Amino acid sequence: MNTITQNQSTATPNSVNPKQVGEIKVTNVGKTYGAAQFAKEVLKDCSFTIERNKLTVMIGPSGCGKSTLIRLLAGFEKPSSGTIEIDGKRITGPGRDRLVVFQESALFPWMSSYDNIMYGPKARSENTQQNRDQAEYLLEKVGLSAFREKYPPQLSGGMQRRAELARAMINNPDVMILDEPFRGLDCMSKELMWEYYSGLYEESHRTNFFVTTDIDEAIFLADRLLIMSNIPGQVRAAIEVDLPRPRRLAFVFDNDRAIAVKMEALAILHQEAMKSFSGGSKAAADFVEAYSKRSGGNGSAGSKKPE
Amino acid sequence: MEIDQTVALLKRSMPFQTVPNDVLEAIAKLARYESYARGDVIYHQGDFADDVYIVSSGAVQHTLGIGFQAIHPEKILHSGDVFGWAAVLENQRSRLAKTVCLERTELIRINGEELINLFKASPETGDIVMSRFATMINKEYTLPEEVAGHVPHFTQVPVTVATGLTLTMFRLSQWLKSPKPYLMLTGFGILLATWYFTVEVWKLPRFVDMPGLTEVFKEWFSKDPIYGLSIYTPEYYQHIWVSVRRILIAFFLATVLGVPLGLFLGWSKTFREYVFPVFETLRPIPILAWVPLAILMFQGSETPVIFLTFLASFYATALNTMLGVETIDESYSRAAACLGASKWQTFKEVIVPGAMPFIFTGLQISIGVAWFSLVAGEMVSGEFGLGYVINTSYTMVRYPTIVIGMITLGIVGYVSSALVRVAGDYMMQWRVRELALGGR
Repeated sequence: MNTITQNQSTATPNSVNPKQVGEIKVTNVGKTYGAAQFAKEVLKDCSFTIERNKLTVMIGPSGCGKSTLIRLLAGFEKPSSGTIEIDGKRITGPGRDRLVVFQESALFPWMSSYDNIMYGPKARSENTQQNRDQAEYLLEKVGLSAFREKYPPQLSGGMQRRAELARAMINNPDVMILDEPFRGLDCMSKELMWEYYSGLYEESHRTNFFVTTDIDEAIFLADRLLIMSNIPGQVRAAIEVDLPRPRRLAFVFDNDRAIAVKMEALAILHQEAMKSFSGGSKAAADFVEAYSKRSGGNGSAGSKKPE
Repeated sequence: MEIDQTVALLKRSMPFQTVPNDVLEAIAKLARYESYARGDVIYHQGDFADDVYIVSSGAVQHTLGIGFQAIHPEKILHSGDVFGWAAVLENQRSRLAKTVCLERTELIRINGEELINLFKASPETGDIVMSRFATMINKEYTLPEEVAGHVPHFTQVPVTVATGLTLTMFRLSQWLKSPKPYLMLTGFGILLATWYFTVEVWKLPRFVDMPGLTEVFKEWFSKDPIYGLSIYTPEYYQHIWVSVRRILIAFFLATVLGVPLGLFLGWSKTFREYVFPVFETLRPIPILAWVPLAILMFQGSETPVIFLTFLASFYATALNTMLGVETIDESYSRAAACLGASKWQTFKEVIVPGAMPFIFTGLQISIGVAWFSLVAGEMVSGEFGLGYVINTSYTMVRYPTIVIGMITLGIVGYVSSALVRVAGDYMMQWRVRELALGGR
């Protein structure tokens, strides 16, 4: 027991056959806050599909209605128009088929890491041996076995995010929805988190919906990339990111295909970002042009299709 | 590299800083000099750990493997930094990290086994160096203490884990070594000296009638007190007990009623609309204003006093509990709902523990105001108790007894709030650790 071994492999419960569930269809959704002349239209005629057993990443300029969309998907708010369906059923409120990991850390500071992770199963009276094993397995998987009895304030920011991922994963939801979960982490922990998170995803292949503003994060993680327009939010483009898995940092950022996808996404994002400056910005336009030249001038690297 | 250059480098490195020169020279003789180009990998994770390295110039990137629980797995090493310490860990014979040179790097390497053999000859120095290694692994490489704990020990001192009485004695001796107790004694000294000099030595104009320090203490510790109350008379303890019992009953009732009321006030908006305005109207009414009604409402002399004490405590407890619920971050309840908790579960498992720090702040205030209103109550009605002692001693011109009552109140009050604090720390281990980390 005294040696430090790197891989203590345990059996992996709950990971063999991914459930073929969790398709979310967003149809013509609009969301307006406030009434009459003070109304602010955040989403307008927004339609897209989160495909089953894929990791869909949504990226868009800040303030484009991504967080509003998350609240609608979670069921905390209702759309002003249009419908959201999960596997053909209308979403009417929060449900255990969807699990949301929010931007801000919401680990309970009065519970140890282990108790936090076990909170979901315990709340639903599913404190079974299988779930306890799964908790231990996830703790190890996110590198927190030695910290199982520590309270969240004793963990670093990155460790807290990992504990939170484990707390969500254990509930085995049909869809995991993550709202910029790695925002505010330092560069190094962020990259480490990408590897942890994509490792967890690759193991389960559960339907995941991940929202971010970071293009590198989006490309590293995504099977499918959705690009949001500026407010009122709509999905501007969808790009299939067909990079092989498992993904490793060194590989992804040294890969021609990844760079091509990045250029393409950046070009669309800059167009959108420029709309928020009145009349657009010369500097931004030059930047996009320089980028597309560097990528070999082929603006159609990904299989882009409007949705 | 010359021996004295190597010694100079060792002296700059954290683990070897305090080693005497003759031992340093012996270590320097073990060292071999090497130079690497940019991009060279010195070793990979999993390689056999033979040597310890000390950077002389250049920069080395040190990346710990994911499974080792380092808080910050990446580290850039510069001149004077030590790495490759797996070579001196017991039971650890493979590298935990990958090291890559970021620029042209010069370093010295020392065989771990040879180093350990050398320290066997001078065990005291060896232990210091190894404990510094352990600190470095834990603090600089942010690895758990378990990893750092694998450094070898050379001196044969039985290591016992301090528990129970030993631990308490250790903490006590640490406290006595710190300046805290002496500062505390100085504080009390100044207070008592001021009292002594103003009343007994200088006899300042308005202080003449006041009981002096020596008079009070003589009376307090006298077997045959002039005014009938000292630590040797049973009445003294009867008064204390009566007051303490009233406090216990009132504080208990205030907690049992105030905490749930506060929780519901904070939790349910509708309930709050009904109750809070009434609550806020009654709260500013001073306790003394309640005295006549209390005497009319309750029979005897005991219940009115308990009622008055309870009232002040109750407001403090309920109000702080309510504030506690209000300050809980909404994201906690949202997370609980997401994880499948019902409304009642959220209340029980999120609202109550989340409000706990405020509840205990409230209880601290509550026990304070309880003593405050108890004395007010006892001065007006009641046949026993410390407040009663103070009041009757005044009317019967037993001035030293007044001060005895006051000092006793101070001590008993201090002990009671300390007990509440200890109970709070015990119930909120997580909070204690959060505060110990400076609320990171």
